[in-house]
Amino acid sequence: MKRWQAVFITAGVSLVFLVFFIYPAVSVLSEAFRGSDGAFTMAYVIEVFRNPVYVEGLVNALLLGGVSTLATLMLALPLALMTHRYDFMGRKLLSALILVPLVLPPFVGAIGLAHVLSVTGSLNGLLIDMGLMDPADRIDWLANGKFWGIVVMNALHLYPILYMNIVAALANMDPAMEQAAENLGASPARRLFRITLPLAMPGIFAGSSIVFIWAFTELGVPLVFNYTRVAPVQVFQGIRDLGQNPSPYALVAVVLLISATVFAVTKFFFGRNTSGAQPRPKGRDSEIRLTGVKSLGAAMVFAGVFLVASIPHAGVVVLALAGDWYDSVLPHVWTLDHFKEALGDPLVVPSIENSLLYASIATLVATVLGLAIAWVVVRGNIRGRGLLDAMVMLPLAVPGLVLAFGYLALSREGKPFHFLLTMAGGSPILLLIAAYAIRRLPYVVRAAVAGLQQSNPAMEEAARSLGAGPLRTLRRISLPLIGANVAAGSILAFAFSMLEVSDSLVLAQQAQDYPITKAIYTLLSTLGNGHELAAALGVWAMVFLGVAIVGATRLGGKKGGLFKM
Amino acid sequence: MFKRLFPILLLLGLIVAAPLVLRRDTDVAEAGQGDDRLVIITPHNDSIRTEFGEAFAAWWKGQTGRTVFIDWRAPGGGGDIKRVLDASFGAAKALGKEGTEFDVFFGGGDKDFIEQASKDRLVPLEVFEKHPEWFGDDKLPAVFSGQEYYDKDKRWVGVCVSQFGIVYNRDAIGWLKVNPPRKWRDLCHPAYFGRVALADPTMSSSVNQAFEMMIQEQMQAVIRVKGDTPEAREEGWRNGMLVILGMGANARYFTDSSSKVPYDVALGDAAAGTCIDFYGRTTEDAVRHGRGESRVHWISPPGGTSVSVDPIAVFRGAPNGKVAQAFVTFCLSDQGQSLWNLKPGTPGGPRGRALRRLPVRKDLYTPERLANFTDPDALPFERAGEFVYQPDLTAPAFNALRIIIRAMCIDPQDELKAAWKWSVVDRGGPADMVFDLSEVGYGKVMNEWVPLTQKKDVLETARKTTELSRSFRDQYRRIAEGKGAKP
Repeated sequence: MKRWQAVFITAGVSLVFLVFFIYPAVSVLSEAFRGSDGAFTMAYVIEVFRNPVYVEGLVNALLLGGVSTLATLMLALPLALMTHRYDFMGRKLLSALILVPLVLPPFVGAIGLAHVLSVTGSLNGLLIDMGLMDPADRIDWLANGKFWGIVVMNALHLYPILYMNIVAALANMDPAMEQAAENLGASPARRLFRITLPLAMPGIFAGSSIVFIWAFTELGVPLVFNYTRVAPVQVFQGIRDLGQNPSPYALVAVVLLISATVFAVTKFFFGRNTSGAQPRPKGRDSEIRLTGVKSLGAAMVFAGVFLVASIPHAGVVVLALAGDWYDSVLPHVWTLDHFKEALGDPLVVPSIENSLLYASIATLVATVLGLAIAWVVVRGNIRGRGLLDAMVMLPLAVPGLVLAFGYLALSREGKPFHFLLTMAGGSPILLLIAAYAIRRLPYVVRAAVAGLQQSNPAMEEAARSLGAGPLRTLRRISLPLIGANVAAGSILAFAFSMLEVSDSLVLAQQAQDYPITKAIYTLLSTLGNGHELAAALGVWAMVFLGVAIVGATRLGGKKGGLFKM
Repeated sequence: MFKRLFPILLLLGLIVAAPLVLRRDTDVAEAGQGDDRLVIITPHNDSIRTEFGEAFAAWWKGQTGRTVFIDWRAPGGGGDIKRVLDASFGAAKALGKEGTEFDVFFGGGDKDFIEQASKDRLVPLEVFEKHPEWFGDDKLPAVFSGQEYYDKDKRWVGVCVSQFGIVYNRDAIGWLKVNPPRKWRDLCHPAYFGRVALADPTMSSSVNQAFEMMIQEQMQAVIRVKGDTPEAREEGWRNGMLVILGMGANARYFTDSSSKVPYDVALGDAAAGTCIDFYGRTTEDAVRHGRGESRVHWISPPGGTSVSVDPIAVFRGAPNGKVAQAFVTFCLSDQGQSLWNLKPGTPGGPRGRALRRLPVRKDLYTPERLANFTDPDALPFERAGEFVYQPDLTAPAFNALRIIIRAMCIDPQDELKAAWKWSVVDRGGPADMVFDLSEVGYGKVMNEWVPLTQKKDVLETARKTTELSRSFRDQYRRIAEGKGAKP
C-alpha cells in the first residue's frame, strides 16, 4: 500500500470513529471531569477509588471477565478443533446449530432463564418430581448461584463468538505444518500446543478479546442473578439514579481505561502476526473421517453443548406458549394466544421492517469501516495504528446508555448531530445506523485483523506488481482470502444490531421508528401477560436470526461451511 | 446455489409473513396522516397509550371533525424522561426557543411534575377555567390524604390515583411459615430473609415516596402517643429507618423495573414485595385459575400508604398547544376518567384490555359505574382515610432519603445481609439493639443532609454518600463478625 493511501484511509476511519464514537462518548463522560465551577477535575475518578463498593465492583468485573473468557475458551476450543480435524455425523448442521445460542433476545432471555432456575422453576420441578428435593425446602438457584452462575451463563452464551473466530483461524492455517510435525513424530498434544494453537492464535485472540470485554462489561446476566456489586451494574444503576451524580461516568472512564489496557497488553503477548511468509494452503485436506461410535460421540458432544446452551432459549419458547407456568417442569396449559396477540400488534410489522433496514445498513457500514481499519492496523505502517486498534475495541466496553445519551443530546435542535435527523425527515434512522455500526465495529475489525494476519501479503504484492489497483487487489485477492473472517464478523455485527437495546430504547422515540427490541420492550409493559407477549416476539426474533445464521453458514462456504472458504 | 438458497429464503419468507398475516388494525391516524398532531411524553405502558390514543382520537373527531395523530414518546421511566426533557429544553434554550417538540407530559409521580414546573416548563391548564364543575372536595380535590392533587398554580393536575402496597405469594408465605403481611414492618420478619423484592427508590420518585410513607407511618404512630416533640419525631424516624433497614436486609434486590417485583412474587422467587396497586391487582388476576383464589395477593398496608396521583401537564411553547389542552380536558372528562377502570368491552370502556388504574374524580365512583369497573372494591378514597401525609414531617428530606437508603441498604447490601443473618436471623437479636442508626437520625438528616441536597453540590454529596456508605459497611462487617455495631 502506498503511504498516501494508508494515510488517507487512516485519516478517514479515524475521523468517522472520532465523530461518531469518541465525540458523543466524551460529551457524556465529560460530566465526570467537570467540577461545580465548570473547571476540569479528577475528583470523581478519585471518588471511584475511594468508594470500596466501586473498587470491589471493578475487581469482580475483572474476575468475571477473566474467568468467563477462560470458561468460554474451554468450551469453544475443543469444539473448533473437532470440527476442524474430524468429519462426523451431521457435522454440517451441528456446526451451524452451535452458533444459534448466540441469538438471545433482550429482556425475555433473562425471563426464560428465570423460569428454569426459579424456586418454582423447571429445574426444581424436575428435582422434586425425581424425589431429590423437598417441595417445602427448595433451592434458590438465582440467589445462591451468583458468580459461578454468571460465568456458566456467559460461557454458554458467548462461546459461538470464540468458536467462529477459531474456526476461521484454523481454516486459514496451512495443514502442511501439522502434517510436517506429525511426520517428524510429534504427538497429537505436542502438535496442538506447538503448531496448531500458535498458528491459530490470531483467531483465539480476536475472539477472546471480544469475549473478555463483553463479560467484563456484561450487564444483563449479573442482573438476572441480582449480582449488583459489579461495575457494569453499578454504572447502569448510577446513570439512572435520579440524583444524577457523575460518579458512574467516572466509573465508565475507568472501565474503558482498563479494557484498553488489558486489550493492549494481551495483544502484545498473544495477538502478534503469525502469517510470516507462509503460503496459504491449497486444498490439502487433513480431515479425518470418523465412523461408528466415535462419529456418534462427536455429534453428541456438539448436540449436548447446543442443548445446554439453548436452555434459556427453550425457557423463552415455553414461556411464549404457556398459560401459567408455575411450579412444574413444563406448563400445564399451552396456548398460541400470546403469539397471535404479540405478532398481531400494530407495532410489530413496522418494527421488523425497521430492524432489518437499520441492522443491514449498519452491518454494511461496519464491514466497510472495519475492513479499512483492519487494513490500516495489519498492512499499514503508520505510527499509532496500534492505538487505533485498541480504541476500536472501546465501543464494546462503553455502556450502551452512555453512547445513546450522547447521540440523544447531540441530535437536539441546534446541536451538531441534528442534521442526521433533518436529513432523514425527522426519523432517527441515520442516528441508529451510526450507533449500531459503531457499537458493532469491533466484531468486524477483530475478525478482519485475524484474517489479514493469517493471509500472506505476498499474494497482494504479486497482484499489485502485475498492475492491479488497490480496489481490484482488495476485491480479487484480499477479500477472498479473508472472506471467512469477514463473514464471521459481519454475521455477529448483524445479529447483535438486530438485538441492540440501549440505542433502540433511547433514540427510537416514535412508534413508527421502533426497531424490534423496542417493540419487545413495549410489549413487556403490557399489563397481565406482558412477559408472555414479549417472549412470543422474542421467539420470532430468535427463529428469524437463527435461520438467517444457519442459512448464511450453509450457503457461505464452497465446501458447505462458511469458515472453510 | 439456487437449490440451496431456495429453502432458506422460503423459510425466512414464512417467518416474516406470520406477523403480516396476524396484524391488527387501529383507528389512530398513521404518522403524518392526521389533520392534527399531538406529541406526548409518558412513562405509561402500551395498553394505556393505545386505549387513550384511540379514545381521544374518536373524541377529538366528534368535537372538531378532524383526525389526530398521536406521537407517543416513551423513553422509559421518570429518570429517562427527565434526561430527555433536560436535553431538549437545554437545546431549545440555547436557540432562544420557548418550547420543544413535546406537547404533553402524561403520567409519573407528582414529584416529576413539581420539578418540571419549578423549571418553568409547564403552562396553566385551561380545564380549570372551562370545567370548574369537575373540581372540589367531593370531585377532584386540591388535597387528599395530605397529597396535592393539582398544582396551586394549576400547571399540572392528577388524572388517576394509585397506592403503593405489598404483593405476596400465598404458597411462598406458607413455605416460610409466616402469616400473610399486613403492615410494612411485617416484611422485616427474619423468615423473609432473601425473599423480599423491593423497588429501587434511587431511580423512581414514586418508589422513594413509598419509603417516605413507611417512615411517616412510624413517626405518626409515635407522635399520636407522645405528641409532636423533637424527641417523638426522632424516635418515630428511627423506627421508620429500622423498618427500611429490615426490609433492605431481607431484600433479594432493589430493582428499577416496576413489573419485576410482582412477577418474581408470582413465580415464588420472592415471597413478598412492594409494588403499586394496579401491577399487584393485575398480577393477582393474571395467575388466578378460573374463579378460584389467586396465589398472589396485593394489599394496601392500613395506615401506611397515601393515595397519590399520576398527573398530566402541557409544556410551555407546545407546538400543538390547543390539542394538548383538549387532551387534558378529555382525560378529566367523564369519558376519559371512566376509561381508567371500566371493564373492556363495556360502553365507554377500553377496547383491548383493562387498564386497572383508578379515576381521580371522586364523583365518578357511583354504584352504576362501579358495577362496570374492573376493580369495584378498590375504593381508594374510602380506604385511604386512615393515613394523612404530613409534609412537614418528612418532605424536606425527600431527596436526602433516597441517598440515605442507598448508603444504608443498597450499596452495602451484601454486608447488611451478612450482619442481619448473623444477628437477627440466626440469633434472633432485636434489630434496634444491634444496629446503630445514629448517623441517619432525624436531627442529623434535617440539619446536615437536607441542606447538602439543597445546595446541589454533586461532588460534596457524592463524597458524603461514600463516607456514609463506608461507615455502614464497616458497621455491618463488625456485626457479622460478632464485634458489635460500634468499634
